Amino acid sequence: MTQDPTSTTTTTDDDDLAEARAELRAVARDLLGKANPATKAGWRQLADAGWLGLEAPSAHNGADATFAETAVILEELGRAAAPGPYLGAVVLGIGTLRELAPTPARDDLLTRAATGNALPVAVLSDGSEGAAISHDSPPFRLEQTSGGLRLHGQAAFAPDAAEATRLLLLAGTTEDDGALVIIDVDPGTAGLTVMAQPVLDATRQLAQITADGFKVDEASLWHFNGGPSAAARRLLDRAAAAIACDSLGLSEAMLETTVAYAKVRQQFGRPIGSFQAVKHACADVLVSISVSRGLVDAAVHAIASGDPQAGVAASMAKSHACQTAVEIAGKAMQLHGGIGYTWESGIHVYLKRAALNRSLFGSPAAHRKRLAARYAEVRP
Amino acid sequence: MGAAAELEDFRGTVRHWCRTHVPANWRTAQTGVSEAEFAAFQKWWFAELRSAGYAVPHWPAAWGGGLSAAEQVILYSELAAADAPRLVLAFVAIHHAAATLLAAGTDEQRQRHLPAILDGEIWVQGFSEPEAGSDLASLRTTARRDGDNYVVNGQKLWASGAMHADWCLLLARTDPSAPKRRGISYLLMDMRSPGLDVRPIKNAVGDSHFCEIFLNDVFIPAANLVGPENAGWRVAQETLGAERGMTMVELAERLGNAGFRWLVEACAQRGIVGDSLVADRLAAFETEITGLRALCRGLVDRHEAGTAGPADASIVKLYYSELLQRMTDFGAQIGGLDAHAVLSKPASSGWESGAWMLDFIGSWEWTIPGGASEIQRTIIAERGLGLPREPAA
Repeated sequence: MTQDPTSTTTTTDDDDLAEARAELRAVARDLLGKANPATKAGWRQLADAGWLGLEAPSAHNGADATFAETAVILEELGRAAAPGPYLGAVVLGIGTLRELAPTPARDDLLTRAATGNALPVAVLSDGSEGAAISHDSPPFRLEQTSGGLRLHGQAAFAPDAAEATRLLLLAGTTEDDGALVIIDVDPGTAGLTVMAQPVLDATRQLAQITADGFKVDEASLWHFNGGPSAAARRLLDRAAAAIACDSLGLSEAMLETTVAYAKVRQQFGRPIGSFQAVKHACADVLVSISVSRGLVDAAVHAIASGDPQAGVAASMAKSHACQTAVEIAGKAMQLHGGIGYTWESGIHVYLKRAALNRSLFGSPAAHRKRLAARYAEVRP
Repeated sequence: MGAAAELEDFRGTVRHWCRTHVPANWRTAQTGVSEAEFAAFQKWWFAELRSAGYAVPHWPAAWGGGLSAAEQVILYSELAAADAPRLVLAFVAIHHAAATLLAAGTDEQRQRHLPAILDGEIWVQGFSEPEAGSDLASLRTTARRDGDNYVVNGQKLWASGAMHADWCLLLARTDPSAPKRRGISYLLMDMRSPGLDVRPIKNAVGDSHFCEIFLNDVFIPAANLVGPENAGWRVAQETLGAERGMTMVELAERLGNAGFRWLVEACAQRGIVGDSLVADRLAAFETEITGLRALCRGLVDRHEAGTAGPADASIVKLYYSELLQRMTDFGAQIGGLDAHAVLSKPASSGWESGAWMLDFIGSWEWTIPGGASEIQRTIIAERGLGLPREPAA
């Protein structure tokens, strides 16, 4: 009945890969400790490190790696609470380009995105609670009119859309039973409005996008490689798992900083970490992170290997890691005492990011609702 | 055949074995049985598993085991999916006793006991005492050397299954003047020895598998000492951790298969699977159980690789115990008043038998013994996170 987590069996190949990922993690932690990916120079460093094109084919200047490698970068971005368009450009943008049928235009954009010379951002959901876990309601619709194809629709809270050099909009067509396509547009297109939506978490850039019936030519209409519905499903699961990675990374950072503080902060003549109330709270955080780690690893593995059950694993990882991350960041603020509540401590940055992550691409409740739909077939 | 295909082949073999060997009616047949009937059923099931090579899969091949860790995970997963009876009575023998003998026993001790365990020898653990629960190292039972024997006096408590046991893993103080952890020895005690008195204690669920053992001038041959004299604490610590991984895999698989299935079925029976609050809780439990299963398998992997952290076993024990308690609590709520009218649960079942009220009450048998949850949190914080110890009182 329950999802079988990733098997224990490992092979030499797995060991080599694990070693390569550990190395990638160490390099990423070091670089993200210094670079700011929200700046041009910082983003260039990520591109030069090869982290934008990890999953792009080598023919398109990529590294032929998998989502498992991208996941390492995502965890480290979360750990650093790093700003920058990695979510929009790599998770959503390059992720979407990989699902599209190859054409010269797509190949060119993928090649430039992989090297940091273009910033394609995909908009896959309208930002509402249900849409984040369902691919049946694309944010945009393509209408065939006497004046040709026209695009309508709106999406809110789209990550990094205001920074994009190209927008890849998920749209339903009125033909072929509403088959899903991607509309590739220049963000400056007349009839398309891209408006920044400031949020309390200053590390994320979100935007609202409105398509006001502007004309779309055939060349901008890009098709998925294979079943469009399944592809859209995979992209939303990928987005959910990516956010789970981010929340796991920031949870680990919060535990580490809290433990370090509890070891040195003295009250009543002893380190506060020697009090059971404090140490037991820290122990609970470690247990919770250990559980998230197992769920996130399983989801990442399922997505990287194209497992058809990846959606279940993604919903479990997203609901658990993102819910507990808020509790963990909140506990970090609590255990830091007064200093934790100051702006300067920076813990609020993590708490806000954790809470935003919780709502992005489906709340824990929405993902659990999706999981629970599978129980309906159980007969007493 | 590749490694993955071989494992799938093994899964098929186990699945087929379960289909042909797990008695269809065992839950009903084991409900309301006497202690003697329970013990007989346990011994019969152990012998069944043994003939298939499934009773002691974790033992070295030379002693009758030899399944790989991946095969053991599959074995426990399939047994759980088939809702097979649990090995309750043999548990201490095949896990604690065997791990101790293999790690620290002499050749003679292994030859004497490991084949006997395969033939059904039952063991009990004699560790806790009235004044030594969470603070186990303060135990007071003494073992005084007298020629070729130790003479043991004292009292043991919470010795699960002692009335059926042939042998006992005993911790006793051999040097009363040493610091408390340094004066303890590890002994193997024949439960037929004169001077032994076993008295069952009725627990909160209403059954009596926990016992008191009174020791009055009990003679134990010095040859039954495990490890050096006064090194018993270290032997116990090392062997307790060594077997925790796979035993937790078994429990997690049971919770994730039949346990969760019954919970969903209980909701379906009442027509509330679609209720949004119920659905949310069910999905949360499924997620947590999946996390637990991954945690247990990770612990096994790290044991194999020698990379297990000092708090890993405590993390798994704490999480399982509290998840079991929350899940059985939810089952009791779903069951409503009907759950209170279920007065007995099948013997030989797991901790999630589907008799939810009894399972809920029984879950304290996980949060209290074997290092209470509070002790586990302290271990996790101090050994896992390096937080400072409590100042000595």
